[in-house]
This record gives sequence, structure tokens and C-alpha cells, in this order.
Amino acid sequence: MGVITPAKPGTAAEAALSRALNDELADKGFVVAQLDKLVTWARTGSMWGLTFGLACCGVEMIHCWMSRYDLDRFGFAPMPSPRAADVMIVAGTLTNKMAPALRKVYDQMAEPRYVISMGSCANGGGYYHYSYSVVRGCDRIVPVDVYVPGCPPTAEALLYGVLQLQKKVRRTGTLVR
Amino acid sequence: MSEALKELGDHIVQAQTGVVSKTEIRLGELMLETTPDKVIALLTYLRDDPKCLFKQLIDICGVDWPEREKRFDVVYNLLSLKNNQRIRLKLMTDETTPVPSAATVYSSAGWFEREAYDLYGVWFSDHPDLRRILTDYGFEGHPLRKDFPLTGFVELRWDDVQKRVIYEPVKLAQEFRRFDFLSPWEGAPRVLPGDEKAQEKAAAPAPAPAKAS
Amino acid sequence: MSDVEIKTMTMNFGPQHPAAHGVLRLVVEMDGEIVERCDPHIGLLHRGTEKLIEYKTYLQAVPYFDRLDYVSPMNQEHAYALAVEKLLGIEAPERGQYIRVLFSEVTRILNHLLNVTTFAMDVGALTPPLWGFEQRELLMEYYEQVSGSRMHAAYFRPGGVHQDLPDGMLDSMEGWIKQFYPFMKDVENLLNDNRIFRQRTVDIGIVSAEQALDWGFSGPLIRASGIPWDLRKSQPYDVYDRMDFDIPLGKTGDCFARYLVRIEEMYQSVRIMEQCIAALRKVGGPVRVDDRKISPPRRGEMKDSMEALIHHFKLYTEGYKVPAGETYTAVEAPKGEFGVYLVSDGTNKPYRCKIRAPGFPHLQALDMMTRGHQLADMSANIGSLDIVFGEIDR
Repeated sequence: MGVITPAKPGTAAEAALSRALNDELADKGFVVAQLDKLVTWARTGSMWGLTFGLACCGVEMIHCWMSRYDLDRFGFAPMPSPRAADVMIVAGTLTNKMAPALRKVYDQMAEPRYVISMGSCANGGGYYHYSYSVVRGCDRIVPVDVYVPGCPPTAEALLYGVLQLQKKVRRTGTLVR
Repeated sequence: MSEALKELGDHIVQAQTGVVSKTEIRLGELMLETTPDKVIALLTYLRDDPKCLFKQLIDICGVDWPEREKRFDVVYNLLSLKNNQRIRLKLMTDETTPVPSAATVYSSAGWFEREAYDLYGVWFSDHPDLRRILTDYGFEGHPLRKDFPLTGFVELRWDDVQKRVIYEPVKLAQEFRRFDFLSPWEGAPRVLPGDEKAQEKAAAPAPAPAKAS
Repeated sequence: MSDVEIKTMTMNFGPQHPAAHGVLRLVVEMDGEIVERCDPHIGLLHRGTEKLIEYKTYLQAVPYFDRLDYVSPMNQEHAYALAVEKLLGIEAPERGQYIRVLFSEVTRILNHLLNVTTFAMDVGALTPPLWGFEQRELLMEYYEQVSGSRMHAAYFRPGGVHQDLPDGMLDSMEGWIKQFYPFMKDVENLLNDNRIFRQRTVDIGIVSAEQALDWGFSGPLIRASGIPWDLRKSQPYDVYDRMDFDIPLGKTGDCFARYLVRIEEMYQSVRIMEQCIAALRKVGGPVRVDDRKISPPRRGEMKDSMEALIHHFKLYTEGYKVPAGETYTAVEAPKGEFGVYLVSDGTNKPYRCKIRAPGFPHLQALDMMTRGHQLADMSANIGSLDIVFGEIDR
């Protein structure tokens, strides 16, 4: 069998695909898949997000998890503890006083870990860029994968950012990270 | 409304002679001025006197007037629930003169005074716990003073070599753009060269517009 | 028997903690499970708002106030707008005042919804936030219709509000009010007589009336301790003196009383909203003061008339100059008394703008409230104090 490309659910192509898979399984007893694709499918299907709500963006982040824009249906469960989280969403202004705590929490996360920088304060200092006590972007402290712009980004924008992160992981993910 | 305020102001000045150096009523708000050594007595009086009953300390803040010798204004805002009245208390101090802490009179003064110390450097004597509250641990300087720059002196980043956050001198990608929009046409304080005669002209009354007939 | 020395254990709570309501770092000294003393470390969200405001014009400073108490943005803007209007000596037109009161009450409901439901979540009930946040989304739709942004609206400006309500919004709000009552009944059914909720909140964090006065409490906290004080009734601003509403009062001063006060305040807010909607159907006119030296002209006018263009340019570059003076103006924000102490030196930028946030003295009293309680009661206390770090740290 050649490489299987995913098909839209509900179409005839999908029905044909599942029939082919079932036949292959019944015939040989196993199916073959690319390791990277399998691993990224598992990772993106269940990325648990660390709720690092600092300021106003935190409220929009909560809204994203609630009934209307439900992030849970993407497998993106909220996980308060960094030890068990995959993604850290830095939502809000990062101040000088908070920066060591942010780095500590990031270090406590296990690989593979990703960071979404949410809101213009986390992206580059934002509205408080010129202030004496604000870190001009959380990427001075942690490496960032996806930047979500907005002040605050609407919950829908954050949802889009999460989906972009999933796309990035599928595109660039390997077994190691 | 302002009658009641005026009465209250007079009552306080009479009762506390020598303590209140000035009263002022502006925009419907009563303001008293006093000195650091008398402020505790005045606050206690304002809290307990039956006509005043300012039971709640709403706010303590500092204001920086750098041209003055006593550059800091410490402003106390009080509220009386029973009389539905607000009052403001001001005293002047500088970097070295301590102000007695109001924490003995009102419990809520603790953090407000810590904040005034942190942001201005006003020292409060007899404070139960005077330390920095809002700025970073180990922050040097008092940010809200007018001579402290907006962007501060140090900024933070994570250094991968030293594996810790380090402080470096501030380097901005784009400077904070300050536009001085105070129009040169209206009330410019300095006289442009060659314009000395304009000052004399301003003294003479403007001619009345000719009536349209 | 020799004396046994008992040392208390110092524990760190936060700053990253699901129940910390933002960035709160509490250093707690514990004797076993009982809290001996707790020392809140704040400043982890100190962004230098007051210093930044001193470098901006009065209009440019408006969005800073949204970002202070970010769960109830428009109430903060209200305080600032009233303070600047006092210094300028102007008053917003009647329709503008009604719109302000309407949106102040919408914001109060937004705040109490978040507080009550996340308080319930902190003590273990996971369903109320899911329901409550859908109501918040519906209200944020109104924010978006009227200002363009779901959260930080920059809608209340000195002089009135920015622009008038869109057509159909008043009917839509009436529809929302109709479905709000059954929602509230559902939440009350879940929580009020719930044995677990009551065990976790009754007799926790009791604050007596004298303590409340001494520690500078205001808002629902002081009302839950039995003192009938509400700035909307005692020092009314805008059109609150024409509104007919009651003030809920608590008897015991514990967490449960505060929760009940907030629930009842939501009902009263809806009452005020109904009255405002009825008034807005009748009152017409401008929504911001007509003085072109303060309020910019409409865009269409700006593109036609020369004077309007000049006014627009001058207002958005230099801004209006506010006469020298100072004022302390406070409003009844959902969390308590939110005040702005504004000092002006006659130029177009504020000289000093001190923001008196209600959460600041409330958090200070956490130590007093939590002594002798257990660690789990700490999160109940923090939740019922209604702490939001944007306004405490500024």
C-alpha cells in the first residue's frame, strides 16, 4: 500500500479509506505509519495547556476554555501544574519581578514543551513597553513558538493561535521534540 | 454643600489651633495642610471627634514637586461614612525628613505608606513593616520621582550561559517619542529672539471688535 | 517535662497557582494546617501605569484605566472620566449619563459573574463558571457592538461616551435580561443550599463592622459586614440619583454573606438596567459634551469643515488642556470604592494620577482574615475578597 493521505470525514473517500485500512489489517495484521506523523498526531491531539494567566489576557484565555470557544474539544485541557503540561500560554504582561518565576515554571515543564505568547504585552511589552518594570516580550525569558497578537486577543484569536501551534507541531515535529 | 464644608473646616481649625496651617475649599473638596510632626494628632482628632468621624482612611499617596525644597507632598484622603463627608490632608516633606506612620491610627495605612516609600522614598517612622511592595526585589531607585526616567535604568533577560535572569542597562529598539505639543502660539514661556516687543503689546488691552452696522 | 519548641513552617503559595487569581505570592507561616500569619507579596504585575500616565495626554490615558481591573473595565474609565470632567468643569449630557450608568451596571454584572463563579470553582463547584461565562460572553457582545472591543473598550471618555448605541441594542438587552433571571435561579439552586458550599464559606473570614472600617473596606465587603454604604446612594454621580434600586446588606460578614451580597447586587443591577433602557428610549440628544475644545467632531464633519479638521487635529495631537487643580473622585466599582486622585498643572498631560484601587486595602486585610483558619480557607478568603491584580499592582 502506498502512503495514505487523510480524507474528509463523511465523504466517500473516507469510507473507502477506512475499508482499505480494515482490509490491510485483516490481511497482514498490522499497518505501517511514519513515526513522526504518528507522534505528532498523538501530541497535537492532546496538548495540555499550562494556564499562565498574568493579566487581562488571562480572562480571555479563561473565556477560550469555557462553553463558547471550548478548547477542551481539541484535547487542549487546562492543567495548572507545569509538570504535566505541554504548552505554556503566557497571557498578560510579564514584569521584572515575575520573570524568574516564569522561567522556573518553564524549566519545570517536561520536553516536548511549547510556548504560546498571548497578547501584545507578552509579545513585545505591548502597551507597557516603555515602562521601567516590564520585560519587553516574554521571548527574552523563554523561547516562543506562536505569537498571538491583540490587546487582548479575542478568545477566537487564541483558538486560532492554538490551531496554528498544532499545525506547526505537525509540520516540524520529530520524535525528540 | 460648600457651607457644610466651610463650617467643618473652621471647626477643625479652631479645635486644632497650630496644627492646621492652611485650609482650602476647591471644586467642592476640603483640603487641610499640616506638618509631619502634627499629623498623627490631627488624624486621631479627625477620626474620633463627633463632628468629624472620619473613620476610613481611603488613600495615602505622594506627589513630587521637584522645584520645591520640600519636594514631596504626602496626601491623605479620608472618608466619614456617618457625615458623608470627604477631606484631604496634605503635608510637605523631603527625601530625608521622616513622617510618622499613620498605621497606629488606621490599620489600612500600612500598605499605602509602603507604596509611598517604594515609589517616592518618603520615610515613615514607626511603621510596622516598611519595605518595598510594588517594585522588584532589590530594585534601586524610586520610580515615580520626576527625575527617574520612564524606562528605568535596568532591564531583564534570561541568559542561557549563566542560566539565570540578568539585569542589563536598558537598550530600546525605538526611543519613547515625546512630543511637546504645547503650542508655541499660546502662552509660550520663553520669548523668541526678536520678539521682545510682543510682551509689551500683550500688556495693552486688545481693541474691541468693530460693531457691524 | 522540658519545653518543646514548635517552629512554624513557612510555605510559599504562588505566584503561579490556579486559585491565586492572578499573580499573588503569599508567604504563609503555618502551624500544621492552621495559618499563623500570611504575608502577601504583590507587585508581580506592577507595570508602572501611573508613571506612564504622566507622559500621555488625558485622552491617551483613558485605555490605561481599562487595563486596571480587567474584569470590570468600564467602571474604572468612569472614575477617570468623572475626575477629568470635574477639573474641566463640564458635565456629560443626559443621554451620555444614562448610557454610562447602563454600561456601569453591565460591567458590575460582568464582574460579579466572574467573581461568584470562580469563587465557586475555587471551593469546588465546577459547573457555575461554565454557565456564568456564557452570560459574560453575551454581555461582552454588547461591549463589542458599542466600542469595537470585547474587553478593553475605551468607551467612557471625559465629556461623555465615545459614540451612541447602535440600533436594536436596547431590544437585544431586554431579551438578555429576560433569560438572565432563569440563569440566576439555576446558579442559586446549585450553590445557596449546597451543603459543601456552605461548609466551606459560612463562618470563614468573618470581618466585623469595626474591622471593616478600620481596614478601609468598601463595596460588597463592607455591606456584607452590616454597614449600609454605597457610593451610588450616598454620593451619587451621573444619573444614579434617579434610579430606584436597593442595597443588599449582610449580617454575618463571612464569605457566605459576601457571596449572597454579590448575587443580590446582580439582581439590583438588572433592575437599574431596565430603568436605563426605558429612559434611553425616551431621552435623545448628544452622548458627549458639545464643546469642540474637548470633544472631537464626528468623522463626516471632520472631512467637510475646516474648523472641524483643525479641532480634530489639535485634540488628537495636543489634547485638551485641563485647568490646574486637584480632585479625588470615586465611583462604586463592583469591587469597592475605586478612586482617582488627579493633580493637574494646567498642561495637556496629567501631573499626577494616583489610582486608589479597592483591592489594595482588601488584600492587606487578608492576614487579619485568615489567622487561625486552615490552608484551604485561604483560597475561599482570596476568592471572596475579589482580588484582581491589575488594579492592585497597577
